[in-house]
Amino acid sequence: MIEGVIRTGTNEWEVPVGFVKGMRVPGRFFLSEHLGSMLEEGAVRQLANVATLPGIIKNSLAMPDIHLGYGFPIGGVAAFSPDEGVISPGGVGFDINCGVRLFTTPLEEGDVSGRKDLVEGLFRKVPTGVGGKSETKVSPRDLDGMMLRGARWAVASGFGMERDLARCEEGGAMKEADTGSVSSHAKQRGYSQGGTLGSGNHFLEVQVVREIYDPAAAAAFGIRAGQVCCMIHCGSRGLGHQTCTDHLKILETATKKYQISIPDRQLACAPVMSPEGRAYFRAMAAAANYAWANRQLITHASREVFARAFSLAHEEMPLIYDVAHNVAKMEEHQVDGRRRILCVHRKGATRAFGPGSPDIPSELSEIGQPVIIPGSMGTSSFILCGTDGAMEKSFGSTCHGAGRLMSRSAAKKKLIGKEVAADLLQRGIIVRAHNDNAISDEAPEVYKPSDEVVQVVHDAGISRLVARLSPLGVIKG
Amino acid sequence: MLTGAKRMSFEELPHTADIKIRARAPTLNALFSDVLDALMQVMYGPERSGGIDRRVDLSSADTESLLAEFLSEVLFVSEVDGLVFKTADIAIEGLHVSAVLHGEPFDFKKHAGGTEVKGISYTGLSIEKEANGYKVDIVFDV
Repeated sequence: MIEGVIRTGTNEWEVPVGFVKGMRVPGRFFLSEHLGSMLEEGAVRQLANVATLPGIIKNSLAMPDIHLGYGFPIGGVAAFSPDEGVISPGGVGFDINCGVRLFTTPLEEGDVSGRKDLVEGLFRKVPTGVGGKSETKVSPRDLDGMMLRGARWAVASGFGMERDLARCEEGGAMKEADTGSVSSHAKQRGYSQGGTLGSGNHFLEVQVVREIYDPAAAAAFGIRAGQVCCMIHCGSRGLGHQTCTDHLKILETATKKYQISIPDRQLACAPVMSPEGRAYFRAMAAAANYAWANRQLITHASREVFARAFSLAHEEMPLIYDVAHNVAKMEEHQVDGRRRILCVHRKGATRAFGPGSPDIPSELSEIGQPVIIPGSMGTSSFILCGTDGAMEKSFGSTCHGAGRLMSRSAAKKKLIGKEVAADLLQRGIIVRAHNDNAISDEAPEVYKPSDEVVQVVHDAGISRLVARLSPLGVIKG
Repeated sequence: MLTGAKRMSFEELPHTADIKIRARAPTLNALFSDVLDALMQVMYGPERSGGIDRRVDLSSADTESLLAEFLSEVLFVSEVDGLVFKTADIAIEGLHVSAVLHGEPFDFKKHAGGTEVKGISYTGLSIEKEANGYKVDIVFDV
């Protein structure tokens, strides 16, 4: 383990105050010994840097998929007091509301195996990759709808079912959104990309539920063994990226204006309640809503493909849940015996609210919030459940995925897209992408093993394993 | 592995999650041009031509910010106008850059093999003066 880091539990570590200058609270992360051997010193340093920010509450946290980001580490969670604390775009990321959702079908593996037309149909219907433009022409009014009403706008416009909204974080839209804080540049980028997947680690997968770990939770969520599902992983596209870029610039100036001392330029921030802080939060909420609208559009398009290929009704393909992994929220948490509203940043981390939380669907109140953890291409994805442990230890947060091990440049040298695709096909997984780099860049071996990552959060008690899913077909940008 | 054509104007350095570029050039103008070339190569690959021009003019607080904001603006124009840039004529005066970008419309057959860049990272961004000119390390968030 990195020098200076102290073990505080089986898979729990502390980065003590003093690891870097000016820390106000300790850092804390969840990690196994084995994953610890892949831990980057720079990522721990970033975790410690976040702990220097004013108004940070309790700990600067990181999940077991921790890796080097900019400013905040990926896998980082940090909560700030609204009165004394700051909000920072680096704690959210460029891809605002990059997130994931899962819907189920009544199909079994046998129904879809060998059905290359299904993956092909999805690949044709959902634009991916660089330069991918949407079929849907988004008007200025549509864009406003996407930014203000998110997935609600999409459902009201005929893309999905009312029931989808209850199974989406925030009901598919944050109410704090304000289109006035979103720049014209960002809006222009938003018009052409509605309903597109993007590239990099974004994907759409056809999966099968291989294992149920918690039958009661699985039944409550609507999952059963052998069921074919569809997982969609993407974010707010150019609109979100531009919003982050725009506000980073504004907040750089604000950091100086409010005389906030930061160890890293990418930790540019402003007091939560300052005009600049509020403007960022409102713009971020608008971009987050755009992402929820986007995932809803893609859900509808995917359901159309399944419906046509297998004569299914859309109602037979319910949404299990949708979670964000790059977002800031105003949430109520218990701190030192009292309830307080905090500004919680999750960058490469997922909300995992426990049983009884008013923010989760009432029919799941006894179980906890569904958590969807996408595996990397060709590896297992997982469904987990939020817990009381998460509320206590991590501001109701858990990991988001696997976390990269190998750089893209190294992946390109070591792995050949066609070989990776052939290898996956041998294992029964069909991959469709626009180019070979999209495949080699995302090959299973460039990521930490996702099963190890989820085992850590399960053992730490911050979420509970419910089910494991395996990929059958992948479309990638 | 990405490399700049001709005089090895840029190289790709290891970075776990994103793309890190190092460029060296005799002048600041050439440095900006080389990093632009790297950005375009990451996103769209090496087969790019000219024919359509776009102007970008902006000022910033320091040279690193100028580079990051210039590249962000190029990202924006590229995406919104659907253009892929091959080269640029760049003139930097103090903390102001004037550029004419030369490119062509995005062509799926030639340009779909790259990786989308989400943003230009400021982490570790520094432009250093060396004996033979300038050096920069910059990270593109993908």
